Amino acid sequence: MRDARDAEDKRLLETGEIDLLLAGWVETIRGICVARMRGSVGEDVAQAVCERLWKELKAGRHRDGRLPFRVVVHSVIGWVCRGWFEPGWQESELFDLDGAAPDETQEVVIELTLEQFVATLPPGDGEVAALSYLEGLEPGEIAERLEKKPNAVYQAISRNKQKLREWLEA
Amino acid sequence: MSAELERLLDEFAQRYARGEPVDVEETLRRAGERADELAPLLEVFLVRNVRRAASPDALAFVRSLDDPPIVRARVAKRLRVDDIVDAIVRACDLREEARPKVRRYYQQLEGGILDPDPVADSVWDAIVTLLGRSRAFFTAPRGGPVVAAAPMYRADKLFEPSMVSYSRAEPEPLDEVDELFLGPPASD
Repeated sequence: MRDARDAEDKRLLETGEIDLLLAGWVETIRGICVARMRGSVGEDVAQAVCERLWKELKAGRHRDGRLPFRVVVHSVIGWVCRGWFEPGWQESELFDLDGAAPDETQEVVIELTLEQFVATLPPGDGEVAALSYLEGLEPGEIAERLEKKPNAVYQAISRNKQKLREWLEA
Repeated sequence: MSAELERLLDEFAQRYARGEPVDVEETLRRAGERADELAPLLEVFLVRNVRRAASPDALAFVRSLDDPPIVRARVAKRLRVDDIVDAIVRACDLREEARPKVRRYYQQLEGGILDPDPVADSVWDAIVTLLGRSRAFFTAPRGGPVVAAAPMYRADKLFEPSMVSYSRAEPEPLDEVDELFLGPPASD
């Protein structure tokens, strides 16, 4: 699924649909920035990340597809969050496209995916997790789909919640 | 970690999978004092998950990125210029007759024509309260000053001072609205 999304990002870059490309990342950017910075500062940081990416995309950067666009996004998020409280940083460096830029060669380790998490679970719990976390089904729907008793599904969900937390903490 | 945090995380993951809007700030608010524990988990969840398809709102947001920051924030909140003007008039306790002038100044501020520095704190308070962003966000320089191209004039007419009409009347003294947006008059 991640490969498919990377391929879609690459296609949007190649066809010049950069507004659609960035729009697809807005939710992720906002969520990560708010979680990391907290409160309205997170919104401001997210805005700055989007502005930086937008200017870069308009300037034709990243079209070579050397790196998946998600790597660029996560690099810029990390770069902006780290520098946000440094005096004068936002005004000067952030928008100097020819100047300092995130080091994209330090590829963010984001190869883990939710699908991989699901694959680590025992078969029964994995089936439930796939329907819950990848397809977003409610417990009743999962029980029906898997022809299991609702109680068994709830027990699997309870175990999966704990495993999800451990996986995210690792 | 409490069962409550696991429940919030699970709920967030399911909303994400269902394609429903997710609100990190609200989820953290619900976590209360344990928000610090939950925040890094939500962050990792978003990093490790695939992005979802662009929503119409996100697309409109991206397409407004070339607009000045105040315009963007206002559009994002789906507010009209008059909504902001109303808030300023109320917050600064101005007369209703002052609205057109406030509107004119606000539009200059929004468009980046008016220097934001002398604008009174009370005006900024009204704006940032309504738009939910910090004052620094609106006033930070963006990409350096805009340098206008040198003017070019047609030379088919010579300047005649008599062609220019001007008023000999004294300029009007600054009123309270001017002072709110331009700062107090310089004392001689």
